[in-house]
Amino acid sequence: MGILQKFKQMFSTVPMLGWFLGIFTAVLIEYFWGYDYISYYLGLPKIPVLFGALIMLKEPVMIPGALAYDLVVYVIPVLAVAKLSCFITNPGAALLEKLPLWLSAVIHLVCFYGILHLWAGINDYRVLVVKLTLVSIILTVSINVINGYQGEFSCSHPGFMALGAYVSSILTLILFTNDKIFGTALLPPALGPYLFPLVLVAGGAAAAIGSLAVAIPSFRTRGDYLAIISLAFMFIVKSAVENLNFIGGARGMGGQPDLAPLPVIFIWTLLCIWVIHNFVTSILGKALNTVRDDEAAAESMTVKTRKTKMTAFMFGAFWAGIAGGLFAHVLTYINPGMFSINRLAEILAMVYFGGLNSIVGSIVGAVSINVLGEALRPLELFKWIIIPLILIFVMIFRPYGLISFTEINTKKLLQAKHKRQQGVSP
Amino acid sequence: MRKIAVLTVVAMALAMVLSPLAFSARKTIIKIGINAPLTGDIPKVGEGTKYAAQMWLEDIEKAGGLEVGGQKYEVELVIEDNESKAESAVKANTKMITQDDVLAIIGPQSSKQAVPAGEVANKYKTVMISPWSTNPNTTLDRPYVFRGCFLDPFQGPVVANFITDEFGFTKAAVLYDVASDYPKGLAEVFKQAWEEKHGAGSVVAYESFTTKDTDFSSQLTKIVKSGAQVLFTPQYYNEVPLIVSQAKNLGWDGPIVGSDSWGSAETVELCGEACYGLFFSSHYAAAGAKGATKAFIDRYENTYGYIPDDVAALTWDALRLAQQAIQDAGKLTGRIEKDREAVRDALAQIKDFDGITGKMTFTEEGDPIKCAVIVKINNQGEYEFYGSSCP
Repeated sequence: MGILQKFKQMFSTVPMLGWFLGIFTAVLIEYFWGYDYISYYLGLPKIPVLFGALIMLKEPVMIPGALAYDLVVYVIPVLAVAKLSCFITNPGAALLEKLPLWLSAVIHLVCFYGILHLWAGINDYRVLVVKLTLVSIILTVSINVINGYQGEFSCSHPGFMALGAYVSSILTLILFTNDKIFGTALLPPALGPYLFPLVLVAGGAAAAIGSLAVAIPSFRTRGDYLAIISLAFMFIVKSAVENLNFIGGARGMGGQPDLAPLPVIFIWTLLCIWVIHNFVTSILGKALNTVRDDEAAAESMTVKTRKTKMTAFMFGAFWAGIAGGLFAHVLTYINPGMFSINRLAEILAMVYFGGLNSIVGSIVGAVSINVLGEALRPLELFKWIIIPLILIFVMIFRPYGLISFTEINTKKLLQAKHKRQQGVSP
Repeated sequence: MRKIAVLTVVAMALAMVLSPLAFSARKTIIKIGINAPLTGDIPKVGEGTKYAAQMWLEDIEKAGGLEVGGQKYEVELVIEDNESKAESAVKANTKMITQDDVLAIIGPQSSKQAVPAGEVANKYKTVMISPWSTNPNTTLDRPYVFRGCFLDPFQGPVVANFITDEFGFTKAAVLYDVASDYPKGLAEVFKQAWEEKHGAGSVVAYESFTTKDTDFSSQLTKIVKSGAQVLFTPQYYNEVPLIVSQAKNLGWDGPIVGSDSWGSAETVELCGEACYGLFFSSHYAAAGAKGATKAFIDRYENTYGYIPDDVAALTWDALRLAQQAIQDAGKLTGRIEKDREAVRDALAQIKDFDGITGKMTFTEEGDPIKCAVIVKINNQGEYEFYGSSCP
């Protein structure tokens, strides 16, 4: 414990900006020397994609090489640069502190995106994993509005996602591509990237309207019964799409234009987090919690419970629809089987693993389930034993998920870390 | 104490750097990617794929590598699990192409994964051969994507013709899974072919169910009452035994005919004697096979303990096709993009390839022209060759 404490104290003076600089250096090292020098001398066939997790599990001989690579490229540069650059990053952070918080946050996010883009850009597989993880974050944060903040157990998220995915795919196929089903493009394909946000919003709106089918029964039922209704909704959507031949039926629909590059998905994810954060901290958002805790009491305290429930469902469904639209344009192919019970299990695992009633928790849940799922890929069948086991242990030791019912303080996170604070901590 | 710790770390670091692994020049290794459903809904299909691939690798290793242009290259398989999910198949393909630098990809087997995965392979200009996918969209407008089997628009009429010629029936019933693309597509093609032959309304019952249903009695009662003479059901090994036994219990006594999805070794194992004497169309027949096909079947059975199904045989052919194409490419430059293109061009040129599932020549779309086989399940529960139909 002593060493760990000392270690922690040593780096307690590093502000967020310092960590960014450290990671940036590490990514630059990987970018310029990773393939030609470092991985070559360590006997690795290529730059290890996910910090060597895949290659280590597949070929145990490579473990020392992959660990050494992580050490040389990530651990040492990040720690060294973060610590040594304190003298410049701390004043920098102090300078940013004087700006309004939102501006400082935006600057930090731009830095973060730059690093992420550079890191992912080294390999297209990383790009795909990051894209799908971001889509999962939108899904998890949005289901948290219904299942966490509002406290219903809704199982219809894959259905909302399917509505968004199909509506936006149909629109892009009609508008921007020469398709067998919908004929020639109505608009020049060059307009695609500019009108894509509108297409996504249309998909989200369709999902929001669809969610009324679950929201209205929720006036009279709660708990298990609503869960069954929402499950039914999911199956209705899936069966309906399967039987609609003009959109491909069970064969699925392909050929969507690739309108969802990494920056687009990143911006939508940020937008989702920001909007949902503002929503759940607003008065209406607080009403969600009162409805969850005691509906009758909330009603008697003049909270309009029906309006609250409807808003929560429509709002969560809207973002699920957006996630569906992005998902469809990342894969450029969808079929109804994708939006079924497997997807539901995945979404629920992410939200309950990360933590209810917390946006940070949702992000942690989505990222960890996605990264674990990818990193343990070489284990094949055992992956499906290990991940559920981890879930079970999390549920035993932290019944509400890893990070629940709390948010992190953005201001504290981004501020400069001067020596004076060090004295306070034990 | 501290000194010892530091010394140990330094020694370990030195050992790592000086180990024979380090400083090894990067050799040109031929890597073949296998994208298979090892977990998920149809693990048996993934297993067959994996086993066939391992047998192929054994052969290559016995020969000391793959000879291309007078030089022997080491061959490595990269086997990825696609969990029987579309996005996972896309991830697996992206990983194999961009990270593992595979020269060609075999798989995915099911169309719902092969269609989106083919898009990735084509985008990165890497040859992909799907051994089992029958959806036309898999190869449509994708010069780098090929397949190892015939398509549904060919198989449907083959079955319709066979029933007409063999039994002389004029009234047929169809039972299929509306939620799964392969049965649904094939059922439609069959209905069309049958009605062309016997006039509109000759398919007297066209009944559907949904994936994971286990009780078919209401559909089967309708079919029995409709006066149909034959039942066509293009379903997978997990549903066929249920359909067959329930039909018999409800008083169905006509023949039941299936398609290549019946070909799994599990069908007979689960179905037992109820399935003896039934017919289905397939890619090859295990019982009574001759030559290279028999050699493959015997070897597979000796190694893994059961007779290979059509997926294994088709995977074997797809791997041999890839091998042929790599050898035909002449020489490997070591620059992966160039080599992939050369392999693609060589593959498209292959004529009359002698596979264990029949002779193959590729059309411009990357679909093979090959014969279908009618298989009879004989009284020992083996898949016996009954007849064949060529385009």
